Amino acid sequence: MDTKPAEMMARRKFLKLVTTLPALAATAALVSPLLRFLKPNVEKFKIYAPTVQDAARGEVIAVATLREVANPWDYKYFVFTQKYPQYTPEGFKAANVPGVVIKLPYKITLYDPATGQGPWRWARDIGKTPKVTESDLIVFSRICPHLGCIYNFVPNYKEVTAGYGGYLPPPPRQHALMACPCHLSIYDPADPQLPGRVLSGPAPRPPRTFLYEIQGENIIATDVEPGGIA
Amino acid sequence: MWEKVRDWLAQRRQKLDLFDETLVARQDNPLYLMGPMLYYFWLITVVTGVILMLWYEPTTTGAYTSIERIQNDIGRLALTFLGRPVTLGGLTRGLHKYGADALITITFLRIYRMYFLAEYKKPGELSWMLAFLGLILGMVSGITGYLLIWNQRAFWAAKVVLTVPVYFDELPLIGPLKFGSMIAFLFLGGPAVGQATITRFYALHFGISLVLLILVEVFFQRTRRKRINMSLFPLALFLVMLVVISIILPAESGRRADPTKTPLPILSDWYFLALYQYVKYTPPLWAGLGPGLLIGFGLIVPFLDRSKGRRPLERPFFTVVGALAVLYFLAFTALILFNIAVIERDPFLIMNITLVVLALGLFWELRHRRQQRQAAAAGISPPARAPVHG
Ligand code: HEM
Ligand code: FES
Repeated sequence: MDTKPAEMMARRKFLKLVTTLPALAATAALVSPLLRFLKPNVEKFKIYAPTVQDAARGEVIAVATLREVANPWDYKYFVFTQKYPQYTPEGFKAANVPGVVIKLPYKITLYDPATGQGPWRWARDIGKTPKVTESDLIVFSRICPHLGCIYNFVPNYKEVTAGYGGYLPPPPRQHALMACPCHLSIYDPADPQLPGRVLSGPAPRPPRTFLYEIQGENIIATDVEPGGIA
Repeated sequence: MWEKVRDWLAQRRQKLDLFDETLVARQDNPLYLMGPMLYYFWLITVVTGVILMLWYEPTTTGAYTSIERIQNDIGRLALTFLGRPVTLGGLTRGLHKYGADALITITFLRIYRMYFLAEYKKPGELSWMLAFLGLILGMVSGITGYLLIWNQRAFWAAKVVLTVPVYFDELPLIGPLKFGSMIAFLFLGGPAVGQATITRFYALHFGISLVLLILVEVFFQRTRRKRINMSLFPLALFLVMLVVISIILPAESGRRADPTKTPLPILSDWYFLALYQYVKYTPPLWAGLGPGLLIGFGLIVPFLDRSKGRRPLERPFFTVVGALAVLYFLAFTALILFNIAVIERDPFLIMNITLVVLALGLFWELRHRRQQRQAAAAGISPPARAPVHG
């Protein structure tokens, strides 16, 4: 009863602090289990970069024969099966990655063994060395690098102008293009420096590529560049 | 500090209006009937939603078929309209869908009313913030519900919307924590749209309304306010209107989702269309940041607007901002419907128009304030303030 008011205040503050700290600590301790409940493949107590566990596993398939894409601008669609972790009771779940094989009218560099540059730059990150380094065949993932729609290979650029928002390519690029229905990103598959260069639209980068090998008559897709939502 | 926040909250809580319940004195004005109507349409969607759950099957393989069955087979009536059978299932779906549309429409209109009449000013801050959160949760309900049909539009809408947060990984400082991809992965239940996505969307779709309904009910119990302060006739009329629309224009099912083919053009529920057009124009990081900033602006607008008056012309700058928002919403929606987007030209034009209009608005605001000050100095009392609601 004889404590001074100021002292009371200080005590009150102290008590408050003493009760708040454990409450905060308890909340923090709950974050990780909660995260693991929602996403069971997160490591225990890991909050930083919890999505690294979600690398997809691809299944090697033959996507086309050389004869099917013999002439310039021939193309063939295919579907590459990839297994993603899905947080269902069954665990892994296959998701499909549609792709397109394109025969270009000229050869371009896919991978420069000396510098590691080129569209297949990413191969080293997954521990592979491309067997093909230069070719007039290129294989793209058709998942749009913008927001994940499936874009189309459009053999006639006029159809791009008519159907995809009115973009008219400059004369050197008036050939087959790739265009996305969602937000009208337009790509040039045959750009020698940067195959899949973004000509128009909001896409931040060219479409992802497939690593492939030629075995006899067959074009075999082995891996797809990681990233994005399938 | 804490005490201040608590006092502030206590004060606002007393004046809190979830569905315009305290504005009964203005019942003759349809603007103030929006609150009760909002609640009414919400109840309709909840009740019909629970009925739909009896037949709906939340699986990638079964969802679309179950929707078709609900639409065409469940509870057939001895009645056809233009050769199509009328079914109780179809009516329930129609009521749910059009009820949800009405709900979102009214939420939008009510937000605009609150904005242009400055109802967000003291002591209405909390009511405004809750109304705004309600709009966002309503839109989340809309997009999660939409995916449940598992048709083409819904599938691609879900995929596009949930790829947007992945770009937050590019932000400086917080980007490397990968919380952007994590948001996407948590909602999708993995790095792809699939079964886990439907399950999670189903839970969210139901859960949002369930939790809010409980909170609202607690509020009504405590304040003992009347829930729907409207006469029976308009309520019955609205219900009949929903039924009639559901018969004339049955809720669409579209085509079954195909993960390997994106339709051209892709569209979504009408209230997302303007956002879709915006996404075409902007780099993908801004596709997420833009709406985020807009939501942030909406939530803190009561604290930004320090003007004195409540009438639109008494606070020119914020009126201009609001008018611009309405205009862009309408214009972008029109542009996407006609599939027009010249990506080289439009963003530049739009940025410039926005800047000019905002600058003019600011100019107008400054002039208005100067005039007020001069009038005050000359001894003319400013026009009487509009009365505070409540
Ligand atoms: C507890 C409340 C709710 C339940 C149980 C529920 C349940 C359902 C179910 C089972 C479906 C799939 C059937 C169908 O599409 O016809 C559905 C669809 C849908 N729901 Fe809900 N829902 C609820 C609340 C809401 C709310 C508040 C909204 C507000 C925006 C909403 C918007 C939608 C939409 C837009 C669809 C797609 C309808 C269509 O296009 O056919 N739902 N809901
Ligand atoms: S998803 Fe292809 S342009 Fe946006």
